[in-house]
Amino acid sequence: MFTPAPLVSFRSLAGAALVLGLGAATCQAADTVKYTTKFGSKVGITGTSTIHEWAMDGQIIQGFLEIPAGVILDPAQAGLAGAADGKVAAKVETMIPVRSLKSTHTGMDDVMQQAMNAENFPKIQFFLSEMTLHGTHAAGKPIEFDTKGELVVNGTTNKIAMPVSIEAADKGKLKVIGKTTVKMTDYKVKPPAPKIGLGFVTTGDEVKVSFEWLIAPPAAAK
Amino acid sequence: MNPNEVGTGQNDWNRREFLRGASFGTLMMLMGGVPLEAQTNTPAGEPATTSYHTYGPPVSIGLIGCGVWGKEILLTLATLPNAPVVAICDNYAAAMRKVKDAAPKATPYDDYKKLLADKAVQAVIVATPTHLHREIVEAALAAGKHVYCEVPLAANSEESLAIARAAKAAVKLNFQSGLQVRSDKQKHWLVAFIRGGAVGKTIQARSQWHKKTSWRRPAASPEREAALNWRLSSKTSPGLLGEIGIHQLDLMRWYLNARPTAVSGFGGIVNYSDGRDVADTTQSIVEFPNGVNLSYDISLASSFDSDYDMIYGTDSTVMMRGNKAWMFKENDAPVVGWEVYARKDLFYNETGIALVADASKQKAMLNKATATDANFTDSALHYALVSFVENSHLTTTTVADHLDSGFDLSDLPAALAKVAPSRRPAAGYVEGYEATVLALKANEAVIKGRKIELTKDLFAI
Repeated sequence: MFTPAPLVSFRSLAGAALVLGLGAATCQAADTVKYTTKFGSKVGITGTSTIHEWAMDGQIIQGFLEIPAGVILDPAQAGLAGAADGKVAAKVETMIPVRSLKSTHTGMDDVMQQAMNAENFPKIQFFLSEMTLHGTHAAGKPIEFDTKGELVVNGTTNKIAMPVSIEAADKGKLKVIGKTTVKMTDYKVKPPAPKIGLGFVTTGDEVKVSFEWLIAPPAAAK
Repeated sequence: MNPNEVGTGQNDWNRREFLRGASFGTLMMLMGGVPLEAQTNTPAGEPATTSYHTYGPPVSIGLIGCGVWGKEILLTLATLPNAPVVAICDNYAAAMRKVKDAAPKATPYDDYKKLLADKAVQAVIVATPTHLHREIVEAALAAGKHVYCEVPLAANSEESLAIARAAKAAVKLNFQSGLQVRSDKQKHWLVAFIRGGAVGKTIQARSQWHKKTSWRRPAASPEREAALNWRLSSKTSPGLLGEIGIHQLDLMRWYLNARPTAVSGFGGIVNYSDGRDVADTTQSIVEFPNGVNLSYDISLASSFDSDYDMIYGTDSTVMMRGNKAWMFKENDAPVVGWEVYARKDLFYNETGIALVADASKQKAMLNKATATDANFTDSALHYALVSFVENSHLTTTTVADHLDSGFDLSDLPAALAKVAPSRRPAAGYVEGYEATVLALKANEAVIKGRKIELTKDLFAI
């Protein structure tokens, strides 16, 4: 059977993952380019139980990615212009409304939100602290980064590290893609123990979080 | 209006002890899931101590129309944990007094415009006489309220279309039409069962609604009598087929998964010559594709055999009565394993196999599944109102998250479509409008005593 509560924690994880996608460095506003969120993002959280896997999906990733104006995030170009040492002084703040994460089972969303303590902590947050080019970037390929940041779920903050790639999307937009694994208990979310009949089903503490965050610079089309 | 007003079999369906009396585990199982309880630090093997509820945040309700059916709605809402009734409205003071106890905390209004101006009201239920729906529904949507509109949507095609179009345009709001069986869990299970081929090739269908009742209500004054008995005047009433038949006509349209192509009607005033000009007994033939016809009888002059719906197939016939159903198999039909263990009921010289949701072989063996132990035991109205509340909240939060994210309004329909799988089953404006068109045309066929073709353009919104 599907287990709602774990899904909730997965949501949190997803939020964290999103946050990771963004950077840490802060720049003067005039010298930076701010990419803002666009419609079409995806969040996915999956987990396990003693019966079968469960999943939750979302479509809301709020926030921004701000990078120095000299850094060119263009997957079509080789390398990473404006970041000779590979380090990008980026600032990223992302949020995912817990309530926007939906299961495939009607009625389960409410349970998940309770497990995630959404009433007191309605959003999963991520704040980027480091964003470094991973290896070398070949023209036409996604730009790979190693990122670090803080993921906030259920009011609990943990540092996380996550590989992130950025690829071109339509109409000048960029797609920030990442995935990671987190433990519900690290965020004080208790893995649900579904009760079926006289028995219990246990859910795995680990959940996999993936996201595709669609962003665009100010001049990009809708 | 709803057939429950005059005591249909549908309305005699089981009461709503579901949320009040059922365990969380039962609730979760009925929802297709499992009860969840957070793990605690208790020793291994010990049960968890934290449980969750499976209903969403509250949606504040305003009821417009406090008649007999309005009171039934209030009593049902009172059983829901997340549907506080904060306002009620009726322009007849005595009606308001009669429902006061059912919504003791609600602010009373004598003008629906005042209720719509109440910012505490998030969603409204329109249970006024049918011919008064349009103005109220359009105003409610314009005021930003989610709307549950009883069916038929209106007493004529023009106003029904206006309501459907207003609902279609209100993309930020949840609109639900009062086709309550579309939310009924037992009916959903039967839809899958029937469409899954259980009856073989469908050959015909038959429905009946019989209840001996005049449909006339006493009133303190001639003016009130005229207002109260709007169903008895052809100027305001969509007739038996509009007020009662719409639910069974829609049920068959849903089960047969096809839009009817024509309807013929007969009928008249055979028992109540009291000044009314609306038929008290009707017979209709509704034509569906592939030669499948539905014959449908309604009468206020006989209560014999109450109400039922039947679908006849080459392998079996399914009979539905309230939230119960039976399958009558042909001798040459293939045997399905579970039916061997299911309970059998004798109807004269026919044997009916009780159809119960989730009546697996194991369950049948353990429980001797019967037609009286259906898993889904709440009323259709209960399920419909649960859907309205939950879907209204889902719409509100989806819209808010979308706009808070800075997304364009033009992308909102796509955003709502993505969360559609999380919606509870309910009839929207499309189903409500199509059912209303069918019912109104069926009534027109009775009045004119002839066949009416149901062309595609009639259903366009």
